[in-house]
Amino acid sequence: MSIDSSTVQTGYEGTAMTKVAGSPPKGSGQALHTSSGARKVVVYGLLLFFALLYLYPFVVQLVTAFKTNPDAVAHPLTLVPRPFTGKALDTLFANDFALWFTNSVVVAVCVTVGRVFFDSLAGYALARLRFPGRSAVFNAVIAVMAVPGVVLLIPKFLVLNYLSMYNTYPALIVPLIADAAGVFIMKQFFESIPASVEEAARIDGASTFRIFWSVVLPMSKPALITLTILSFQASWNELGHMIIATNNPDLYTLTRGVAGLTSGSLGAGNQFPIKMAAALLMTIPVAMVFVVFQRFFTQGANAGAEKG
Amino acid sequence: MTTTQTGEEAAATQPPHRDRAPRRTGNSLNRQTRSGWLFVTPMLVLLGLFLVLPILMALWVSVSDWSGRGSPFSGNVGFVGPDNYQPLLSEPGLSRQDFMLSLRNTFYYVVGVVPLQTVLALLLAVIVNQRFLKGRTFFRTAFYFPSVVSSVAISLVFLYLFTGTGAVNQALDAVGINGPTWFADSRGLIHLLGNSLGLWNIDSPPSALADHQVLGLSWWDWLAGPSVALSAIMMQVVWTTAGTFMLMFLAALQDLPADVEEAAMVDGATKSNVFRYVTVPHLRPTILLVVTLGVIGTWQVFDQMYVMTQGGPAKTTLTPAYLSYQAAFNQQHWGQGAAIAFLLFALILVLTSAQRWFLRDKDEWARKQALRRQRRRQREEAAA
Amino acid sequence: MRTRATRKSLLLATALAGGLALTACGGGGFDSSGGSGGGDGEGSSADGPVTLNMLIASSGDAETQAVQDAVKKWGDESGNTVKVTVASDMNQELAQGFAGGNPPDVFYLDASQFANYASNGSLYAYGDQVDNVDDFYESLRSTFTFDDQLQCVPKDVSTIALEINTDSWKKAGLTDADIPTDWDSLASVAEKLTTGDQVGLAIGPGIDRAGAFVVENGGWWLNEDNTEGAAEDPSVLDALQYVQDNLTKGSFAMSSDLDTGWGGEAFGTGKAAMTIEGNWIKGAMTSDYPDVKYTVAPMPEGPAGKGTLLFTQCWGVAAQSKAQSQAVDLVNFLTTDEQQLAFSDAFGVMPSRQSAAGDYESKYPEDKAFIEGADYGHGPITAPGMDQVIADLNSKLEDFKGADLASVVKSFDTNADAALGQ
Repeated sequence: MSIDSSTVQTGYEGTAMTKVAGSPPKGSGQALHTSSGARKVVVYGLLLFFALLYLYPFVVQLVTAFKTNPDAVAHPLTLVPRPFTGKALDTLFANDFALWFTNSVVVAVCVTVGRVFFDSLAGYALARLRFPGRSAVFNAVIAVMAVPGVVLLIPKFLVLNYLSMYNTYPALIVPLIADAAGVFIMKQFFESIPASVEEAARIDGASTFRIFWSVVLPMSKPALITLTILSFQASWNELGHMIIATNNPDLYTLTRGVAGLTSGSLGAGNQFPIKMAAALLMTIPVAMVFVVFQRFFTQGANAGAEKG
Repeated sequence: MTTTQTGEEAAATQPPHRDRAPRRTGNSLNRQTRSGWLFVTPMLVLLGLFLVLPILMALWVSVSDWSGRGSPFSGNVGFVGPDNYQPLLSEPGLSRQDFMLSLRNTFYYVVGVVPLQTVLALLLAVIVNQRFLKGRTFFRTAFYFPSVVSSVAISLVFLYLFTGTGAVNQALDAVGINGPTWFADSRGLIHLLGNSLGLWNIDSPPSALADHQVLGLSWWDWLAGPSVALSAIMMQVVWTTAGTFMLMFLAALQDLPADVEEAAMVDGATKSNVFRYVTVPHLRPTILLVVTLGVIGTWQVFDQMYVMTQGGPAKTTLTPAYLSYQAAFNQQHWGQGAAIAFLLFALILVLTSAQRWFLRDKDEWARKQALRRQRRRQREEAAA
Repeated sequence: MRTRATRKSLLLATALAGGLALTACGGGGFDSSGGSGGGDGEGSSADGPVTLNMLIASSGDAETQAVQDAVKKWGDESGNTVKVTVASDMNQELAQGFAGGNPPDVFYLDASQFANYASNGSLYAYGDQVDNVDDFYESLRSTFTFDDQLQCVPKDVSTIALEINTDSWKKAGLTDADIPTDWDSLASVAEKLTTGDQVGLAIGPGIDRAGAFVVENGGWWLNEDNTEGAAEDPSVLDALQYVQDNLTKGSFAMSSDLDTGWGGEAFGTGKAAMTIEGNWIKGAMTSDYPDVKYTVAPMPEGPAGKGTLLFTQCWGVAAQSKAQSQAVDLVNFLTTDEQQLAFSDAFGVMPSRQSAAGDYESKYPEDKAFIEGADYGHGPITAPGMDQVIADLNSKLEDFKGADLASVVKSFDTNADAALGQ
């Protein structure tokens, strides 16, 4: 699925996730759900099947990264590399992999910071401030949210050229900060915060930005963390934009560089261990962010739900 | 698109703030105007520069004869009207053939992926929602994880799993099935099905189908179904995206008031009846949302084609998004590439608006049905 | 409410974009000096030392290193510098370079893409400034001629021939006398070489391999003037039929059906006893499959005699380059006999100059079959707009065995006529 399409989806992932984490536990029905043994067997059986289906590809990826190419071709199912070799990783790092990784980190961090800041700024204005043209702005945001991402590949290339940004770092970053779905998420969240808190600060004579920055934002941790995860993941995984924003190998990110491994740069042969090692290494950071933040995220969201 | 709906409804149903907040002084209003515009301007500039302006520029390119050299706005680039659109729609030739092939492929792709991922997501959500289950968080995480991983990484893994002698075929071999060479196999599933049912011979298609063309493709080609290669990509995408939608279903399931279920159970309804008459109607809005998002997302499929197949084998994984990219960036037919992008845009808009219109009515209808059912049940109870 | 809101927001969006467009005007990043390219006469020449950008599609480290060494040598002699970039997707990166107004000064240009770039004026036609230009093979020069000008000088040449795994050969009880010389003997040895886990002959997908049989049958895809398709001629159809018959028999197989990326991989991994590939297979065999012993024979003759296919790339110089004369100087340096032979040593390409062929053959006698093919081989199709038509043909032949050949060639002719008529 294309990344830009997921911007639209992203909005919902976000709301869905907040809901999952935020809904109060419903223990009341528990007694009725004491299930028969047979049902448990069926459910656990299904669970095991799906768990295998979902985890096995990642295990294969991990194991194959340390196989030799002939071993990978001959024994795709075995889970022990024989012989065990780190050659695939060596090849990757001999091949600009570190550069791609660095670029991906720079892009993902900048885009995430930019999105979180500008999205919440705009979201706050749309949720809380009354100014002429507000509903028009909101409708404009909603309208551009409906534009499917992949149709923007050619257009974005034209604009980057027009603005003399093609083949620069800003070309990789700035267009990705434009994110209507995030504005929408933040607006929805800010509307759920009681207005009384701000009123108190306003009466104290704090400026609007100050109220936003020191009163509202600290209360918005769950939404901010949600948006951070979504933005990081979306920019880390972005492929289409990275293809059209540059043709300079110094600016390649992981997605672009690793996608190139299937065409051309590895030659025509199937170097599976190298590909699996690349897939593995580009998955690890997202996995870490995902696992680490999920704990935070659940706590934060629950806290928000209690306050609300 | 439901996005739009939700947003508007929110804006429409939201009581104006002055009802909640005490009246402010004119000074405060002025201040709010200033900071309001100040706050939204950065994002508006970004959206204008990288969403609105690009669309306008591409709209011009799609009706111009720009060949990819110099600026598309210089004097020697001319207006050609619909010349870039006609070869795609009305003129017989390679361009129309490819465009129609891409529409055909994506149609089968959407029709396959959307129902499958919806059902799988619902199934996963129901399993993970079992209250007696230990380690629910773990499983929820495991099923959701592929959704956050880069499509490039997942594509590489699936390329490996689906090679002719790869893990999938070895597993199939173990149960006595001789698997195909997935990503090299361009045979259509419907063709194969008809062949095995004896409806036709795949190597010599019935002339009634093969000899009559519509929009540059023979009926035989239109009716091919997704190729084996495309099916492998479809499996990958279903596997990847089901997790996201599972979370949406999970959220909806947890919103289901427990007392409703309890009441139904007390009434003596069986588990499967509760699921059918209570849970599914409750989930209906979520199902509609998942289907809508699925349709929007699947019509745009690009990454997998770029990484895995480049449209092959035999153009059976060509999609409008990839075709548009290829026309512009590989063949320097910028006008035609932009034209394909706009046609895709229009198609998605039409589909989603149609769906929204259709679903909105359905929604109301569902609500009415539920009400009616409830009343009937009450009547029956009263009678009993 | 919906429509009014949409109209209002569209208005706002348009106004916003319009404002932005106005402010951004003049700052346009497109190179406005594009003008009409394909210049004649003296090229633009920057004063003093220049930095040239070069974009290449490398077959591997050996090639990248050899090119880097060569340009460094030229740089040291001339005082200029050259920045070599290796493309991962050559077509796309080159197209983006031109559309973005910053094309590389010097670049590899594949024959299949040549006409597209030549016809839109992207190329600086420098053929008349190249030393001893008639020394390049005639078929290569005509490949890169557009509007009666040699636009782009052939970098090297490759031909395809028949590679035979000598172990499998012996195991099947075959001797040197059995090396196939015509279609019938090729079919019969392929059958003898086919065993349970090995096919006789693996062919890479597309007309770039199977097309050799068309040449041997006296046919070609286009008519002589390249004005219309000629694939419906029996000379083409019969050759394709020959391949299809053997595929059906199972003694030939497409490399993709053997789960490999190209003929060389099928050959190296022992899934096929013979393959049809070009001289580039040498590098892959040495590095990836050093244990496989093989020999190279010329393509067996067809009903119309000898035939093979030529492949070539050229050194393109951008019309937009600000240092054209330096770029031409560099190309002159890279296409001397001496430098071409250095490239041969490094990564196995064959010289595009006839004067270097003798040296090459005495140095690499095992390549006799390849270098001889340069004399009778048929060059690629280069008419503008044909790349899509050929891509379509190739996609229809991906399932070669099941393809309805008559309708495949018919649609090729229709598409070719449309593309060439424009």
